[in-house]
Amino acid sequence: MKTSEIPLTPVPLTSELAEAMLQRQIKKHHVAIMLLHWFNAFVWLFELLTGLALITSPLFRVVPEWYVSIVEGAFGSRANMLQFHIALGVAWIVVFLVYGVFGVRTYLSQEVLKKEVALDHDDFRWLVVRTLRILGRSDEPLPPQGIYNAGQKLFAFVIYAMIPVVMLTGVVMAFRLFSPAIVGWAVVLHFAAVGVVVSGLMVHVYMGAVFPEEKPAFFSMITGNVHELFAYSHHFKWWREMKLEEREWDEQHDAAAAPPPEGPPESVGPPR
Amino acid sequence: MARYAMVTDLRKCVACHACTAACNVAWGVPPGHARTHVHVTPLAGTFPNLSSSPYVAQCNHCEHPPCVEPCPSGATFQGEDGVVRVDKGVCIGCGYCVTACPYEARFISPADRKVDKCDFCTPRIARGELPACVTTCTANAKHFGDLEDPTSEVYRMVFAEGARRIESGTIAVGPNVYYLGKPEHLDLVAASFPPRPPRLLAAGKTWRSLVKPLVVAAVAATFLGQSVAFFSQLWNGEKDFED
Amino acid sequence: MSDRVSRRRFLGTVAATGAGAAAAATAKAAPVRPPGRHGQERVQKVATHCEMCFWRCGVIAEVSADGRVVRLEGNPDHPLTKGRLCARGNAGTSLLYDPDRLKYPMLRTGKRGEGQFKRITWDEALDVLADKLKTIKEQHGPEAVGFFPHGIGARFMGTLLKAYGTPNSVEPSFAQCRGPRDVGYLLTFGRPLGSPEPLDLEEAKLVVLIGSHLGENVFTSQITQFATGLSRGAKLVAVDPRFSTAASKADWWLPIKPGTDIALLLAWMNVLIAEGLYDKEYVDAHAVGFEELAAHVAAFTPEWAEPITALPASQIRETARAMGAAKPAVVVHPGRHVTWYGDDTQRARAMAILTALLGSYGRKGGLFFPTPVPKGDFELPDFPDSDKGRADGAGEKYPLASEEMGVTNGLVDATLSGKPYPIKAWIVYAQNVLESIPQPQQTLKAIESLDFLCVVDVMPVDQVAYADLVLPEATYLERYDAPLIVNSAKAPFVSVRQPVIEPLYESKPGWWIAKELAKRLGLEAFFPWATPEEHLEKTIEPMEINSLELRTKGAVAFAGRPYIEDRTEDDLPLFNTDSGKIELYSQALKDLGADPLPLYTPPEEPPAGYLRLIYGRAPMHSFARTQNNATLHGLMPENEVWLHTTPARELGLKDGDRVRLENADGVTSLPVRVRVTEGIRDDCAYMVHGFGQRSKSLRRARDRGASDTQLMTRVKVDPLMGGTGMRVNFVRPVKEA
Repeated sequence: MKTSEIPLTPVPLTSELAEAMLQRQIKKHHVAIMLLHWFNAFVWLFELLTGLALITSPLFRVVPEWYVSIVEGAFGSRANMLQFHIALGVAWIVVFLVYGVFGVRTYLSQEVLKKEVALDHDDFRWLVVRTLRILGRSDEPLPPQGIYNAGQKLFAFVIYAMIPVVMLTGVVMAFRLFSPAIVGWAVVLHFAAVGVVVSGLMVHVYMGAVFPEEKPAFFSMITGNVHELFAYSHHFKWWREMKLEEREWDEQHDAAAAPPPEGPPESVGPPR
Repeated sequence: MARYAMVTDLRKCVACHACTAACNVAWGVPPGHARTHVHVTPLAGTFPNLSSSPYVAQCNHCEHPPCVEPCPSGATFQGEDGVVRVDKGVCIGCGYCVTACPYEARFISPADRKVDKCDFCTPRIARGELPACVTTCTANAKHFGDLEDPTSEVYRMVFAEGARRIESGTIAVGPNVYYLGKPEHLDLVAASFPPRPPRLLAAGKTWRSLVKPLVVAAVAATFLGQSVAFFSQLWNGEKDFED
Repeated sequence: MSDRVSRRRFLGTVAATGAGAAAAATAKAAPVRPPGRHGQERVQKVATHCEMCFWRCGVIAEVSADGRVVRLEGNPDHPLTKGRLCARGNAGTSLLYDPDRLKYPMLRTGKRGEGQFKRITWDEALDVLADKLKTIKEQHGPEAVGFFPHGIGARFMGTLLKAYGTPNSVEPSFAQCRGPRDVGYLLTFGRPLGSPEPLDLEEAKLVVLIGSHLGENVFTSQITQFATGLSRGAKLVAVDPRFSTAASKADWWLPIKPGTDIALLLAWMNVLIAEGLYDKEYVDAHAVGFEELAAHVAAFTPEWAEPITALPASQIRETARAMGAAKPAVVVHPGRHVTWYGDDTQRARAMAILTALLGSYGRKGGLFFPTPVPKGDFELPDFPDSDKGRADGAGEKYPLASEEMGVTNGLVDATLSGKPYPIKAWIVYAQNVLESIPQPQQTLKAIESLDFLCVVDVMPVDQVAYADLVLPEATYLERYDAPLIVNSAKAPFVSVRQPVIEPLYESKPGWWIAKELAKRLGLEAFFPWATPEEHLEKTIEPMEINSLELRTKGAVAFAGRPYIEDRTEDDLPLFNTDSGKIELYSQALKDLGADPLPLYTPPEEPPAGYLRLIYGRAPMHSFARTQNNATLHGLMPENEVWLHTTPARELGLKDGDRVRLENADGVTSLPVRVRVTEGIRDDCAYMVHGFGQRSKSLRRARDRGASDTQLMTRVKVDPLMGGTGMRVNFVRPVKEA
C-alpha cells in the first residue's frame, strides 16, 4: 500500500475492502498479556468473593449477612477464608512482580504508558461524544482512537494506580507490617482502592462481555487477534500505525517482493 | 448455654501480681504486656487519713461488648457462653477493637502483632478447670463461674452479696467481672478507673463515614450508568459489529 | 514458635477445608484454638516445690513433648499452699530459661571484680577447690574457711564443710533477717518461731502487723490465710510509717515514728494490764514474771508513748482495747525481717510478751505449736570438733546467736580483722553477700583480703565478678534437694524436691557438688548414699509413708497438734524455758547483763535535711534474686523512692523525677524514680530492696533502680545475737539533672 493510500483519518470503505479486512486478523495481544488478563480476572473474582465476605462488621460491611455465611461455610472457617484470600493475593503479587521485572519495557516504559494509558485530545472528545451517544443526544462520529479507546485507557489508568495500592495494603495487612496504626489505615485504603477498581470493572466487564459491538475485543483476549476491520473502525490510529509499519517492512523487502496488492478504494462510508 | 463471670474480692486482694504472672506465662504474653492488670488506686485523702484499694482489671466479657462491632474481619466474637474471644486465625492486627474497649483490656501483642486479651482461659474452662489467675491467686480473691447457675459462688456473690460492676453513667455495657469490697473502696476504684467511651480510630471513622459511602455510591453509579447503557443499547438496537 | 504455628496453620488451610466444615458447625460453642506457644500436647507433670523465695510452695511443673517446661502451677495437693502460687513461683520458667544464667565452671583470669574468667571442666574446678581446701587446712586449719550458705540446697555442702572441720557457717537469714525474733520468742516461749511462722491467721479475730507489710511481702499460704481471716471478719491493726497494702485494708493504721515500736508495745501492755484486758487465766496458768512485768509497764502509758511514737494516745488505747476484746484469737505478727535498730531482740521479746498477755500462744486464732515430724538420718562419723571455736562471735561475743545459722557480719568482721583468727577463704552458696549483708563496702574489702573465693550460684550476680572459682548450680527445677520438713504448720508435712528436667548447660545440683568434693577430700563416709533418691528414702523412713506417693503428690501431711489442748505427754513441757513456763521476765537476759524486760531507747535522729531510709519488698520480686527474670522484670523493672509530698515539694521534686540518694556518709546511689505520695511519714524515704545491681552479666537487671544495701554504710548491731540493725541510715534525694 502506498503512503498516499493509508488515510490520515478513517474514511468509508468499499464492501470488498471491508470484507477483506474482516477476514484479515491483526495481532493485538500477545500470549503473556492474555494469560495475565485471565489470571487477573480469576484472581479478582475470587478475591472479591472472599474479600467481601471477610468484612463482617456492620460498620463496614457491604454485602448481606447471608452472603458472608455462605462463603464462610464454603471454606469451613473464617480463618480458612482469610488464608485463601491471602494466599491467592500473594500469588497474584508474585505473578505481577515477575511480569513487572521481566516485562518492564513491555508494560511500564514511558512509551507504552503514553500510548496505552495517557489520554490525548481525541480521547477526551471521545469520552464526551460516547456519553452523549448513549444518552441518545448525539449522532456525531467518534474521534479515532489508538490501540485502546479512551474508556479502556481510563480503566487502565485506574488499574495502574489502584493495583499497587491494593497489593501494598494487602501485604501490610497479611503480614501486619510496620505498626497496628498503619495496618488500621491499610484496611481502609485496601477497601477504597478495590472499590474504585470494582466501579471500573463493572464497565469493563459489561463492555467486554455484554456489549455486542465490542465482541471482537472480548475474543481478542482469547485468540490474541482482532480482524482488521475492527481495528480500522474502532482503533483507527493503531490500525494506521500497524499499516505504516507493515509498509516499511514491505519496502525493505521490495526487491524480492511481488507487485504490491490492491490498495484500498477511494471512498468508503465511515464505519458505523 | 452459660454466662461466665468473674468476681474479684478486693478486700482480700493484695495486688501481688500472681494472676498477671500466671496468665503471662500460661499464654506466652511478652513481658511488659498483660491480659490482666493489677492496679492500685491513687491515694484518697491526706496523711494520715488515707484510703486506697487494689483493682484487678481484665476483659470483662461484657453483655454488650463494644469491641465486637468495629472488628472488620470478624475475628472478635462473643460465644454463647458470654466469653468474648479473638480468633487469631482471622485477626489482622488493625487495632480497631483496642480503642473500642472501655476497660482498656485489649492490646496488640508484640509476639504476633495481633490482638490479645483475656479469654477466661478458654482451653482450661473447656477441660472443666478454672482460669489460671483464679487458681493461682494467693489471697483466694478471684472467683469464676456461671451466672446462670444458681449454685455457683459467683451467682451468690453477684445476686446475694452485692458484687458490683465498674460502670459509669454513660458506659454501661454490662461487664461480667464484678467486684466485692468495702463500699468506699469500690467507689474509689470506680472513680479512679472509670470505663472510657469506646472510640473508633480515625481510620475506622474514615472508612465508615467516608470511604464506604463513596465506594457504594461509585459502584452504584457505575451500575446505574451501565444499566442506562444497556437499555439504551436494547432500545437503539445496537447491532453486532459484523452488521 | 509462633511462626511455626502460623505456617502450620497456613499449610493446613490449603488442605483442610473439609475438616473445616465440621469446625464451622461447632465454631460458636467450641473454644478457638489456644493462642501463644503452648499448643503442644502435655506430656508430663512433675511435683516439686518452689525456691523462688524461701516459702517453698508446692508446684506442679508441666513438661511438653520436646522436653520444655512450659508452665508452673501451684500443687493443689500441697497441704500448705493448696494449689496457689505467687508471681515469682509462676515465673520460675523465666529463671530456668534465662539466657544470662551461669552455664559452666569458670576460673578467674583477670583481677577480682573485672569479671574475666576462663571456662574449665567440672573435674578441673573441683580439683582446684579441693586443693585449695586441703592447702588451707594444712596451713591455717579448716576453720579458716567460711561458708555462706542459704536455702535448702546448701544442706549437703553444709555437711561437707562441717566434716571438713570448719564451724564457720553463716546464713543471712539469722543476723540480717529473722534472728532477733527467733531469739526473742525462744527466750519467752522456749522455742524459736521457725519458718513458716506458726500463725493461725485464718481463725484470728484480730491481726496486728507491726513492721510487717504482709501483702507486699508475699508468702503464698500466709497471704491466703491472712485474706481468709479478713474475709471472716478479722480486724486489722497495721503499724507502719508507710501506708502499705496491709494498711489500706486495716481498721487502724498507726503511722508510727520509725524506731519507736518498743514504746508502742509497752504502752499496749500498759493498757491491757491496767484495764484488766489481758488473759488472766492463761497468764496465771502458763507464765512467770507477771508482777515484774506489770510493775515495769506501769509508767508506760499511752500518754507517755504519744510524743515518742507520734501516735495519738487515744489510738494506742483503742487498739489495745481491740486486742483485749479479740483475745485470745489475736495474731501479733512477729514480723520476718526484723533487724532494724540493734535492740531488735528486745522488741521481739516485747511482741512475745504481748502475745502471751493476750493468751494467744497455743490457742486458736493466735500462734500455734509446731508438731515434729520424725526424720531419718544416716549413721555418720562424728564431725570434728574445733578447739579454735567459731570466728563469727556466735555464742560468745553474741551470746544468744544461733550457732547453727551463725552471724554473717561477724564472719565478715573476722575476715577483715584477722581476729580471733585469720579467715582465708569463703565458699558462698546461693547467698548474695554483697546484697544481703549491709555495709557492702566492708564485705568487698573482706573479699579482697581473701586468698580464695568460691561462689556457687545460678545467676551471675554482682559477687560473681569477684570470685576466683565460679560453680554453676542447677536451678531448683533441675535438681534434688534434701526433702523439706515443715513442723510449723497446723498439718505438718514433708515435701519433695525432685528434678523436672535434666540440668541445662553444665549446671550441677548441690548434692553432686558436695559428693564430688567429698571424694576428693576423703570425706565420702559423710555421704553414705549413692543417689539422692536413697537419701530421700532414708529421710522419710520413720514417717511410714510411701515414697512413690510422696514423689507423685509432691507432699504428704501428718496430723498436727497445734493448740494447747492437742498437746500430748510427748510434747511436754509446753514451754521449753528454764522455768518450764512462759518467761515474761527473762532471767536468762538478766544473767547476761541485759534488760530482762524490754525498754525503749530512742534511735538516732536523721540530721537536718536527711530522711531515714526504710526498705521493704515487692510482691513480684524476691530480695535481689529476681530482678533479671524476664517475667518479673516485666512486672517491675525498677524500684522507686517514696517521698512524702511535703519534703518532695521542699526539694522541688515531682512524681516521676529522677534523683540520686546520697547518704550521710557521702555514698550516692544510682538514679531512681521518685514517687511523691501522702502515704508515708515525712521523715522517711522508702525503697524496695534488691535493685541497682551492677553486674554486666545481668542484662535486664543491671543498673536499673537504686540499691538500698549500697546506702547502708551504718549498722546498729544487736549485742545479744549480732543482728545488723539496718534502719539507721539517712539519705537525702539529690535531683538528677
